[in-house]
Amino acid sequence: MRLTVDGTEHELDVEPDMPLLWLLRDELGLHGPKYGCGIAACGACTVHLDGLAVRACQITAEEVEGAEVTTIEGLGTPDAPHPVQQAWIEEQVAQCGYCQSGQIMQAASLLALNPAPTDAEIDAAMSGNLCRCASYPRIRAAIRRAIQSEGA
Amino acid sequence: MRSTLALLALTFALPAAAQGFDPIAEVLLHPRCANCHVGDDGIPLWSTDAGGTRPHGFHVQGGESRMGIETVPCSACHTERNGTLPGSAPGAEGWALPPVEMQWAARTPAQICEQLKDPERNGGRTIAEVADHVSHDPLVLWGWDPGPGREPAPGTPEETVAAILAWADAGAPCP
Ligand code: FES
Ligand code: FES
Repeated sequence: MRLTVDGTEHELDVEPDMPLLWLLRDELGLHGPKYGCGIAACGACTVHLDGLAVRACQITAEEVEGAEVTTIEGLGTPDAPHPVQQAWIEEQVAQCGYCQSGQIMQAASLLALNPAPTDAEIDAAMSGNLCRCASYPRIRAAIRRAIQSEGA
Repeated sequence: MRSTLALLALTFALPAAAQGFDPIAEVLLHPRCANCHVGDDGIPLWSTDAGGTRPHGFHVQGGESRMGIETVPCSACHTERNGTLPGSAPGAEGWALPPVEMQWAARTPAQICEQLKDPERNGGRTIAEVADHVSHDPLVLWGWDPGPGREPAPGTPEETVAAILAWADAGAPCP
């Protein structure tokens, strides 16, 4: 199968039902997306599929044939971080960090679809991304900061 | 003579149950159907082990788009097929809440019966088209193939289509 991950095209020989998360971590060595639950219940594995957030543990290899996947490592660069990443740094959101790549990918997807979400929409959008360190107030603050920096 | 005719009419009217709305209501009000046919709060329902329902976890909201575009699109977790692990997300092509005018959850069979006949509230369909929708729409068909750990809707899609057509033939009476 073929797919593009973080701008690089890959040709892979994997089982069609292999979860995308396995493919990214075990086949491509991209360890940004994390395994938390495997059943769409934590958000730690969130990546973008054709620009929108999906749970990589739920999507199979055959469903991403020819698709463009973006992980946290392809969202921005240290020199040119995505506005959400920049806001995350400024708010110093991360505690242990395990959930954070999923949080950032979810937040970036939210702002792509809904550039000026209400507070209630932010809370609803981020509720599927759990944080065992309870960094939730800083997550909210960082998303509001990202919205402001984008001039929305 | 008249009583023979009446008897004949009765005989041909069988199975009586299939002509009423009850067998259809049993399907439409089953959690596999009604849990997504929710009202204008746009909050899908989950069935609980105790036999009731609760709001979908993760504060999920279908929103006005009925597919979560304002917050988390359904497609963030629901793919075009069922997750294979118990408790994982079910999926089918076009996963979304039905339009709000098709609310069935928290409604009575009599209310749903009237809705099903009303093109304003059934997606602009004739009853034959409603039956066709039941036999072809991937999301409707999912109700009978809901993945591990979920009870399927009663009977089969074919039986439901037959029940809808028989009910229509009988003049689509409502309870
Ligand atoms: S690992 Fe995918 S949602 Fe938890
Ligand atoms: S920062 Fe530790 S789980 Fe979120």
